[in-house]
Order: sequence, then structure tokens, then C-alpha cells
Amino acid sequence: MDKQDELLKEAEKLAKHMLSYQHDLAPTITSNIVCSTDAKEELLDECEEIWRQMEECQSKLMLLGIETLPESDAQLSLLMMRVKALTAEYNQWQKRSPEIISTNPDVLVALGKEELQKVDHDLEMVLSTVQSKNKKLKEDMKREQQWLDEQQQLVDALDVTHEEMKNQVVQFSEKRALQELKSKMLKIRAYKEELLSALGEFLEEHFPLPEEDESAKKKKKSPAEEPTVQLVTLHEILERLINRLMSTPHEPYLTISDSFWPPYVELLLRYGIALRHAEDPSRIRLEAFHQ
Amino acid sequence: MSLVRPFDKLPTLNSAVILLVGTDERRQQQLAEAILKEKKNFKINIHVATSLPLPAERDHVRPRIDLIAFMINMQSKHSLRNVEASLSHIDANFFLGKVCFLITGVGRMNHCSVEMNAVRKLGNLYCSPVLFCELDSEGIRVATAQRLLRMLQICAGHVPGVSALFFSSLMKSSIDE
Repeated sequence: MDKQDELLKEAEKLAKHMLSYQHDLAPTITSNIVCSTDAKEELLDECEEIWRQMEECQSKLMLLGIETLPESDAQLSLLMMRVKALTAEYNQWQKRSPEIISTNPDVLVALGKEELQKVDHDLEMVLSTVQSKNKKLKEDMKREQQWLDEQQQLVDALDVTHEEMKNQVVQFSEKRALQELKSKMLKIRAYKEELLSALGEFLEEHFPLPEEDESAKKKKKSPAEEPTVQLVTLHEILERLINRLMSTPHEPYLTISDSFWPPYVELLLRYGIALRHAEDPSRIRLEAFHQ
Repeated sequence: MSLVRPFDKLPTLNSAVILLVGTDERRQQQLAEAILKEKKNFKINIHVATSLPLPAERDHVRPRIDLIAFMINMQSKHSLRNVEASLSHIDANFFLGKVCFLITGVGRMNHCSVEMNAVRKLGNLYCSPVLFCELDSEGIRVATAQRLLRMLQICAGHVPGVSALFFSSLMKSSIDE
């Protein structure tokens, strides 16, 4: 009985050990109990008895003759045999009562130890599996944490940028931008006026209309060719060319009329201020300086 | 000439005996090695024969045979005829769960010279399970070895509560479905 108590204690210890889930392994169960000779004798006797029974059965079996399958209908006879054998087996199971293992305490202790060792071994395997799984999970966790940190940093950085952008938006309020644009436009307009008047003055001073007397001389020489149209200034020619180019960029050509003094047209063409139409020499356009 | 009988001798303690019958010695060797490699808690005895009957003069040294596996190569009609001829040299009681047919070379169907129906019919006629395998493939070889080992364990009576006859009846009903 002492030995059984001892075994129970050991079992309890093992269970506790596993419950507390410590990382060291359970102590190995040493089979320090030497089976008493009595127990061994008893088991051996049991075995001898079983062997005797087997020998009896064997001799009975040997008395049975050799059975061969008939040539015809082998399957049928085989199936009949199977039915017989299965029925016999069924009856045997019906009659059979469960075998009870030896009640000798020594034997029970030894069996219990063996069983415990098996359980211990299995549990150790489970432990190591769980440990490796845990390790893997920890690694995963670490990696995920790192990823989370990185993402958090990214969010922080984006938040900072967002704040900055907000401030800038406040600074560049619509009103202010409009006002700025307006003042710029005013400046540019003033500058444009200045340029235009300067250009006008320049043209008036350096490119006046041909002298009246010159045309008068011509009149005398060839009265038939007296121009019936009023000549326009270079200033006006240029203005018309510019307006044409700006208002209808797809069709910038202007037809040379009689009111254009030919030397001025020639001047514009020679210095590359105006260009002649490739097919129609009577039309010119302003060089696209603005592009 | 001696007939092989299922219970002609007393069993040896903690051991089981399988007899492989077939013409292809190389495959028998392969399978035997695979079976021996498997982890097991009993002693295993593998006997190899090209055909039955077994020589009578060695009868007294031969242990009790628990399972006979007839190996048929799908690529050789000769192997099928050899097995068919051998089948008449075993006791009818062997067919109560201690015989199985191992069909090899099923991996290359276009090389088959034995009809699938023929081996199915053979299994049906002798009420014995038919196992299909390709011994050239290592994975299938190992799986087949494990299967045979399990059957052998049952046939040798090492599994309490399951007899060879009971097991083969289970196998048969699952095959028929």
C-alpha cells in the first residue's frame, strides 16, 4: 500500500508541475521499485497458463484437415467460410468477459509507473511544441510591434506636415491673394501704358508720314497715279498687325492695302518684324514675338 | 509439396511474419527495406518467395506466417499468372483476412498490360483486399510499408479486440462502396 501511495504522490507532483507550467522538465521517474519475486512469479504463472491454453488450441487446430478451395464456385465456398468464422467470432465475443489484470500491488505499481512515464513523455513533447510556438509568436509580436511603431512615426510626421499646411493656408487667404494679384495687374497695366506711349512717341518721331511735298511732286509727274487713299502711319500699321495677331491668332494675316506706304512695309519685312504669307504675297503678319 | 496453413505452428513472442510472393525480386527487396525502416515495437520477419508452394524441406525452421502479400506488377502478365498459380497452394483459411494483393506499377497506366478489372476480380474472388501502389516513388513506398505493417500487426494478433477476419470484413465493405 505504501508503494501505491508513493506512486499517487508522484502522479500529483507531475500534474502540479505541468500545471504551473514551468520551463524545466519534470523529473524522470526512476523505476526504483524492484518487483518482488512474488509478483514476477505470479505474472509468469499467468503467462504459462495462457501458453498452455494456446498449445491446446493449436493441437485442436492441427487435427483439422487442410482445406482447399474447390475449383468451381470458389467464391461461394469462401463466403460461406467467412460467414461461419464471423459467426463463431461473434459468439466468442458474446461469451467473453473482460479480463482483469493482476491485482498484485507490485504489478499495479509497475504498470502505473509505465503509464506515468508514457504520459510524462507525451507531456514533454507537448511542452516543447508549445514552447517553440510561443517563441515564434513572440517573434511575430515583436515584428508587428516594430511595424506599428513605424506606422505611428509615419502618422506623426504626416500630422506635423498637415499642421504646417494648415498654417500656410491661413496665410494665403483668398482676399490677400486677390489683392496681390490686383496690385500686380495694376502695375503691369501701368507699365504697358508706359511702353505703348514710349513706342508711339518713338514711332512718331522717327517714322513720320511721307512729306506732302513729295507726293505733290509725284502728282505733277504722274497725275493719273495720284493716290486716292489717305496713307496711314507706321504706328497704325503696327497696331493693326498686333490687334490682328491677338484677336485672331489662327488667322493673323493682314492684306496690304493701298493706304500702307510701301517703304514702311518693306522695312517691316526686311527687319523681320513682319512676315509675308507663303502663298499670298499681298498678305503679311506680325512675327510671333510673344511665343 | 506443402500447403501453407495459417495456424500450423505456435507464434513466436513479440514477432510477426509476412510473406511476400512475387516475380519482381527488386521490388520485393525495396518494399522489405521500407518495412524494416519503419518504427515498430515488435520483431518483424520478412520472408520472400517468387512463387508457392514453399520448399517442404525447410518447413520445420519456418515460423508461422501471419500475412501473405501477393505482388502483381501491372506491367507484367506473367506476374499475374504466377500469383494465380500460387493461390491454389495455400489453405483456404488463409483467405479469412490473412491475404492481400499488392498491385505495383500503377503509376504508369499506359504501360499496363494487366487489366485493372482482372486484379479487382481476383480480389473479389478471394475476398481479400487489393492495395494499389507505385513502389518506385518513395512516399508511396513508405505509405504502403506502413499500411502493410498495420495489417500485419492485426493479422499477428497484436491488436487486442481486432481479428484479421474482422479487419478484412471492414476493408471489404469500404472497398465495395
